[in-house]
Order: sequence, then C-alpha cells, then structure tokens
Amino acid sequence: MKKWFLYFLVCATALAGCEDVIDVETPSEDPRLVVEGLLRVDTTQMFIPVEIKLTQTSNFFGTIEPVTDVDEIVIIIQELNEDGFPEGSTGTSSLTQLDPGSGIYVPDPSFDNDQRIPVSAVLEANLEFTLVISWRGRRYAAQTRYVPSVPIDELRVGDNTLFGDEGTEVIVRFTDRPEEGDFYIFDFGFGNYLVTEDTFYNGQEFEFSYFYDEEFEPGTALEIGLLGADRTFYNYMDLLIEQTNGAQGPFQTPVATVRGNVFDVTSLDNDEVVDNAQQPDTFGLGYFAIVQEFRSTLTIE
Amino acid sequence: MRLFLFAFALLAVSFLNAQNRYTLSGTVSEANSNETLIGVSILVPELSTGAVTNEYGFYSLTLPEGTYEVVITYLGFQDIRREVTLNSSQRIDFQMGEEAEQLDEVILTEDVERLDIRKPQMSVSALSVETIKRIPVVLGEADVIKSIILLPGVTNAGEASSGFNVRGGAVDQNLILLDEAIIFNSSHLFGFFSVFNPDAIKDVKLFKGGIPARYGGRVSSVLEIFQKEGNSKEFHMSGGIGAVASRLLAEGPIVKDKAAFLIGGRASYAHLFTPLFDIDNRAYFYDLNTKLNYKVDDRNSLFLSGYFGRDLFSISDLFVNTYGNAVINFRWNHIFSDKLFSNLSLIYSDYYYGLELDFVGFEWDSGIQNFNLKYDLKHYLSDKLQVNYGLNSIYYVFNPGKIIPNGEDSGIIEEQLTKKYANENAVYADVSHEITDKISLGYGLRISQFNRLGQDEFFVYENDNPVDFDPFSLVYQEATPIDTLTSGRGETLANFFNLEPRFSIAYAMNDRNSVKASYTRMAQYLHLLSNTSSPTPLDVWTPSGPYVEPQLLDQYALGYFRNSKNGEYSIETEVFYKDVQNRIDYIDGANLIANNAIEQVILNGEARAYGWEFLLRKNNGPLTGWLAYTLSRSEQRTPGRDLDIDNGRSGMETGINLGEWYSTPYDKTHDITLFLNYELNKKWSFNANFIYQTGQPTNYPIGQFQFEGLVVPYFGLRNQERLPDFNRLDIAATLRPSNPTGKKFRGEWVFSIYNVYNRMNAASINFRQNQDTGRNEAVRTSIFGIVPAVTYNFRF
Repeated sequence: MKKWFLYFLVCATALAGCEDVIDVETPSEDPRLVVEGLLRVDTTQMFIPVEIKLTQTSNFFGTIEPVTDVDEIVIIIQELNEDGFPEGSTGTSSLTQLDPGSGIYVPDPSFDNDQRIPVSAVLEANLEFTLVISWRGRRYAAQTRYVPSVPIDELRVGDNTLFGDEGTEVIVRFTDRPEEGDFYIFDFGFGNYLVTEDTFYNGQEFEFSYFYDEEFEPGTALEIGLLGADRTFYNYMDLLIEQTNGAQGPFQTPVATVRGNVFDVTSLDNDEVVDNAQQPDTFGLGYFAIVQEFRSTLTIE
Repeated sequence: MRLFLFAFALLAVSFLNAQNRYTLSGTVSEANSNETLIGVSILVPELSTGAVTNEYGFYSLTLPEGTYEVVITYLGFQDIRREVTLNSSQRIDFQMGEEAEQLDEVILTEDVERLDIRKPQMSVSALSVETIKRIPVVLGEADVIKSIILLPGVTNAGEASSGFNVRGGAVDQNLILLDEAIIFNSSHLFGFFSVFNPDAIKDVKLFKGGIPARYGGRVSSVLEIFQKEGNSKEFHMSGGIGAVASRLLAEGPIVKDKAAFLIGGRASYAHLFTPLFDIDNRAYFYDLNTKLNYKVDDRNSLFLSGYFGRDLFSISDLFVNTYGNAVINFRWNHIFSDKLFSNLSLIYSDYYYGLELDFVGFEWDSGIQNFNLKYDLKHYLSDKLQVNYGLNSIYYVFNPGKIIPNGEDSGIIEEQLTKKYANENAVYADVSHEITDKISLGYGLRISQFNRLGQDEFFVYENDNPVDFDPFSLVYQEATPIDTLTSGRGETLANFFNLEPRFSIAYAMNDRNSVKASYTRMAQYLHLLSNTSSPTPLDVWTPSGPYVEPQLLDQYALGYFRNSKNGEYSIETEVFYKDVQNRIDYIDGANLIANNAIEQVILNGEARAYGWEFLLRKNNGPLTGWLAYTLSRSEQRTPGRDLDIDNGRSGMETGINLGEWYSTPYDKTHDITLFLNYELNKKWSFNANFIYQTGQPTNYPIGQFQFEGLVVPYFGLRNQERLPDFNRLDIAATLRPSNPTGKKFRGEWVFSIYNVYNRMNAASINFRQNQDTGRNEAVRTSIFGIVPAVTYNFRF
C-alpha cells in the first residue's frame, strides 16, 4: 500500500528530470555469503523443493560468483509445541552440491535416509527450520517457520497504462485470510515483486492493478505467484524492492544493508546467547524462508 | 535573573531623570497608497538617537523637551526632514514619496548604517521585494525561497526540493510566518515555486540566529513575511505573464483613506499544453491572496486576510494528488498610548493533502489544522529601552490520514489513522536596551509549554520501548504494542515545559564597526518526519508526545560588522555553533507514510552544526550586489539506547552508523553565492547570480548481491559519499520601455536564462540494473538544464 504512494511520488521528478548514466567508483569490501533460501511450497506435491543457492557479494560493478566451497550445509528441523517452544522430535536434512561449481545445494541423495522434507510434515506439525552453513571458517545460521498463503481468485488483463502507451496492466483479485496481520508477496515474474499487508482489507476480497513496463506479445503466458510471508520476510522483500526499482531521485529513502535472517554464529557458544552487538561487521546476506505459493497463469490475448 | 534586576535598575534610573521627556509617535506610510512601511528610520541626528517603525509602521520615540530636526529615511523613498518642537507628547504620521527611478546615493547613509551597527540584533537578513524580483530564477518566476538561498548560511536540498536549510538545520526547523500565520508547506509543485506571490509582499526578513523571544516553536530560523495591506488611495492593478504561470493583483480603496482591499492570484497553465504532446499527466497550481483592511481611527486598525493555495498533480486520472494551505487571519492593531502598541491576531489554518488512487480503489485525506491566538505588545519605554511582551496559544489537530474506498467494488475498508491533538502555549518578554552609546543589549525569556492531548487510540509498549532491537541481527524493528488505550481530548498524554532565554549584545567600536554576540535557546514541539532526501508532501507533521521528545536548541553566535565610510560597502561575518538535543532519525527501512505508529520506527539522537559566514555587500551605485560565503558542517548522531540487562537485553545497541557522528543529508561544506545587479540606464538593467555548493551527502553501494532474480545493491554507513559539486550561473535582463508621461500603465520585460552553461547538476545518483543490458549502472538525475524564459510584468 505504502509503496504505491512513494512509487508515484517519484514520477513527479522523473517526468521533469533527465537521467544520464555516469561513471563512478564504488567502494569494495571482502565478499560475504549470500543465501538464496526461499523455498516455495506447493501443497499438492509430496516434498518441499529444497534448493539453496549460495553466492558471494561483489563490488557493485563486479560479477557475482557462486559459493562452491562450503564445508557443511544442513537444515535442522525442530518440532514446537502450541506456545512455540521446542518440544518433540527433531530431524536433519543434509544438503550437497550435486552440480559442482553451481553453488546450488539440494538434499543429499547419497544418504540411506531420505533427506528430502515431506510437505505433510509441514502441514501436520508446528515446525521450526534452522539452516546451518559452515564456510571459510565461519558458521552461519538462519531460522524460519512455515507461512501459508491464499489462492489467486482471478487474473485478467486491463487496458490502462501508467506512462505513455507502453506497458501491460494486469488486474489481480484474491481474498485475504480472516486473521489480522497477514503479509503477501506477489511474484509477477521477470524479477517483478510486490508486497502487501492486509491492514486495509483484512478478511476481504481485494482487487488491484499491477503495471508491467513491457508490452507482451499475444499468446505470452504470464505466471504469477502469491506467496505467504511473515512480518520479517515482508520487510525484507519490501526493502529489496525499494532498492532495486522503487523510489528513486530526491524522494529516495535512506538506504542501508538489507539484512535478511542469516546470522554469523561463529563466536557464539550456543544458540541461547544472542549478542552480536560487539561485532556489527560480521553478517551474511539473503533470506531463508519456507512459504506456501499459489501460482496462476494468465495468457495475453 | 540577575539580568532582569539589572534591567529594572536601569529603568528606574532613566525614570528618575529629572528632565521632562515627551514622546513623538505615529505611523509612517507610503504617500500614494497609505501602505504602512516597515523598518523606516526616524532619526534625530543632534541627539544621536532614533527609532525604527515596527511591522505595522508604528514608531515611538521619547526625547527630552526641545526643538529638533527629525529625519525620516527609507531605501527607495525620498527623505523627509521636519523640524519638531517637542514640548508635549505628539502624534505625527509621515507619508513618504517614492524616489526617482535612478538609484541615487542615499543621503545620510551614515546615520542609517549607524543605527544598524549599534542594534544588538545579529544574524538577520532582510531582502527587499525589488531585489527578489530581480533575481533570475527558473522559468522567470520571482521566488522568495529561491532568493533567500542566495544569502549566507542558507541552502536547500536541490532544485526539486521544497523548503530550505538554515545554518545546517533541517527543513522542519524553520518558522515560516505569513502575516503572523504559520505556513506548513512553503512550496508548490514539489518545490518549483514557493507559495508566496511576490506582488503581494511588502517585507521579508530571515532570522538565522539571535532570535528574539517573541518567536518560538522552531529551532533553526524564522522567515517572516508581511504582505501589502491594500492601497486605500486609488485603484491599481499589477501582474505578470510568464512561460509557466501568470499572476494578477488588484488593490484599491473601499472607503478612501479608510478601508481598502487587495486581491491577488496566480495560476500555472503548462498542463493545458501537455495533451498536445500526448501526455495524459497534469500538474498545476493556483493561489489566491485576499485582504481587507479598515482603519477605524488613529488608534485602531483591523485587518482580515485569507490565503488559499492548491496544487494538483495527476497521472492519467489513475492517480490524482491535491494539496495546499488555506489560512484565514484576523488582526487588530490597537495603540494604547504613544508608548504602547498592541496587535491581536486570530488565525485559522488548514493544510490539506489528498490522494486518489483509482486503480487500487481508494481516496486518502490527511492534513493539519490549527487555531492560533496571539497577543503582542510593544512598549516603547524610552529611546533607549523597548520591551516587547505577549502570549501565543495554538491548538492543533493532526489528521495523519483517512482512507476511504472510492467505489462500491473497491476492496478497501474505510479507516481513520488516529488523529492527534495538541496545545502549544507561550508567554514572552523581550527587551532591547541601549546601555551606553557603544553597548546595546537584547535579552528576553520565552516560556513555552506543550500539551499532547488524549486521542482515540494510543499504543502502550513493553518497558515503554516502541522500537525493538534484535541484538542477533543488529536490526531495529517495530515493537508490537502490548495494549491500546483510549483517552479523551481533555486528558493529557504528555506535557512539556521549557524556558527559552535569549541574549544578545552589540558593542560599537565607532560609527562603522561593531562586534555582536548572541545566545539563543529554543524549543520545538512539532516535527516533520521525513526520511527521504527531500521532503515530500506526504510527510507528516508529528507533535511531541510520550515517545517523541521536543527538540531543544542552544545556539551561540559571534559576529563582526563593518560599513565603509559612505556606506558603499558593508561586511558582515559571523561564526556560529548550534547544538540540538532530541533530533530524531529513522531506523533502516522505516516507512513513515500512512504509519499509525511513528514511534515504532524512530530513534532519538542529537545534532550539531557549526560554521563561518561571510557577506560582502555593495550597496550603492549602478552596480550593486553581494558575495556570500559559508563554510559549515552539519552532523548528527544516534547512539544505541541503554537498555537494562535484566530484561533479557545485553545492554549494547549499535545505534545508527554505529553511534558515530555522521553528516546530515543537508551538510554542505562550502556555499558561495555571487549576486550582481547593474543598472545601465533608465531602460535596461542586468542581473546575474552564480552559485557554487559542495555536493550533498549521499550513499554509494559497497557491493551487490542477488536474491530471487533481483540484483540488489547494499550499503554501509549513512551519508559517507557526496554528490558532485553543484554550480550554476543565471543571468537576466530587464527592459523598461520609456513611459510617456501621463500614462499610468507601466510594463517591463524580463529575459532570463537559468543555468547558462547547462550544467547537469545531480539531484541524486541511483544505482540500479539496466533493464536491457542487465549490467549495473549509476544513474544521475538532474532537474534543469538551460532554461530561457520571458516574463512580462505590468502595473497600472
């Protein structure tokens, strides 16, 4: 909701101003670990598609390399009781890089026990997932819980455009979950995301328009996904979107490092001690989340 | 306290003086319009004393019995010399006639400057309306705000920004008064134009420091603008036709010499041409100034004025944005005696901001209303002692926003963000005291008080902490309220009380040199929360409360002032140091728009600014102008809070930028301005201004990473880099065709070129991935290249 405000505010100056690409030198720092751990759960499937992609940061004008030299990468599963405290069974899922040099880690098929995570586990019990990675002498951890989503009720093409004649309007309709505090992420493909929260339409059916910059050929099939999210993941995607194609120009909000939920836990003796204040410079980037996704396809006529 | 006792002692002494003293008082106005004149000097050279007219043209001078020559002098007008025999208190009103068009040397410049040298008021800049109209600005539209930026110590955030920064202060720290009424948003069209119609303005003054006790509520500056009241002698019209906007003003008598009206309007019309270019977007503004004045008798005048301005910006009807100020103002001047002048103001103001987003299905309304009562008394006890005192009370209603579905099929639920209410009160006493021939003092005290009143929903947090710090991820996040309270308007959520002493002293070494020093303490209870580089109309004014402390300022300034022998040149130089407690900053990724709980995203810190200003003016001759240079630093610090370890916290927080000092977004190290005006002859005059400023602080990414198909830049500490230096040259030429005598109609053509050498000054630099090539790039956005314009101004 709020993003729409800023997005259009920007246009005032975008219309009047000129944009030129210029040469600047940006500072560098040592590469950091980036975790692409968004697992989209389709509840009609048997297993969660566990695929964690690890890369490193680079200078803004450099190239992003995959991380291929991980010592250990594993997902720890802990059952929680009604109050959210650990109680009950635990399990692990070990991951390995099947395709050497790709940086993509999947459940290790070489184990005797099936390392894949079944969807039924997530639907039946209250689970907490912790991703642990050991890389270049440091240990990283990320924790998450499963968040459900809602299906897309309708998708159709509209005939409005925002600026000039280029662009495609897609009208989306969905119904919010009855509880308060629901967050959603729309994946419109081609790196286009939209985040929304249910403050102004709690429990209601809600319809809005999304504008693509491109004009699509008739016959193109657009795949649109609706993912669930908790507040932290919502904030994370919100900031990412802002930093990639959100408010620009004089109305930009102060930028920062968008930290995800991946922490450097090397010097912590156990997971109970929660203090990184002494070492603000060690951290990992990216996000580990397990959320439900509903996908719909819209074919342009 | 001691200072007050000292003052009383001196007062007593002056009263005990045996000689009879009588008071000469009255008003000074313009002969052909009855418009009162502000700041006119009434001098008695043989006694080396004098007075100055106040904001309503009133002066009062108490002298010993005798016969004197009194000289009335004011720039642009012919001097009046009158012999006055003072053997009883007298009222003499003076009417001044305009000077011939040539810029002759002002006679008796010595006496004029002497007065300024001795007055303890420092850090103030006055701009005449004529100068404002001469300064070439973008699209040929004269603009008050763009003009004050040419003065030392004043900058702004760039060409598309509204507001201005004074001595390293933020834009919400400027008190903007239009005929005593507070204006919240001083610009149209995102900063391209200001809300002040230059034709309607009589006087502009900017106080950067040494702020007298009669002003309060904002900590960096006071921009005081008085408009014309209306010509009660004869009917006149004036206006201008420009490339983007035009203006028209009409004024005239309702009852000759007693009552008059003034009505002026401006409107822009560039949007009428956009359909020709197949653009379906519109942006326009209009404003209207209306004034009525009625001179009841010699001692009473009534003024009723209204201002209404609106901006509209729309993108093909899918997105429509309207906003603007509306102010209605009633004032009553009452002269109690020849020594006591008073003004009562009753003001209502409404700042409205609305949005309609058709494609999402809602309408958004927000705004701030205030009712203001002011009573100011000016007591001219003697020619050496003047006391101003009074009170000020404001009641505010803040509407942070109301969202309404705009149709039946909209999925939006109507919701009102909690309205906030507050009451700000102040009493003050302000003394101007000439102790000896060489030493003048100004001292005063303002006592201010702020009540944050109850509201419908008020959140309560655990340990009173609305912001959570996660010591693991070192991220600040909004805390979830543990309770919501409802309180009535009569209850108080928070109460603040502040003493604001003000002190200034001037030491005149001789007629032409003086040294001045001042100390100012001020409190600010309203804050404009904006975390964009430039304020947007969506920014919300928030009152202080249980989670937001008032900003408290201490400013120290020291200056040296010198005039050359014939007043041709003057030099003003000052150093200042400012310290602001409780300066807010925002957590990373804070979303302030439509936020019903702002306290969840802000952190408390402090700010400071210090610098040196230098101004060299040439006042006389065909070539006039000034050179201004400011060297300054403006920074802030937001350390982590101290939290108790017992409640499960480690006690260590990183704060913002690791608790270190960092540049504010408006920190500009060097600021140089050169303004020149050359009067070639009666027909032609030329102006130029050159500005050079260090680039604004900005952020460059220290790296990039990818996530789910997005390539994301990431950043380190705030405000470490700078945009490229800003510089620009503007020139203008004014042609006044010869006017056959007898014709009332006068016109002039203004030809201007903004940004003569077409420098693309960076308003911002953004980092993103190119859509087509997939490569990362840095993109500079600049607003104006070279812009020539022609404006035609007329008057009859």
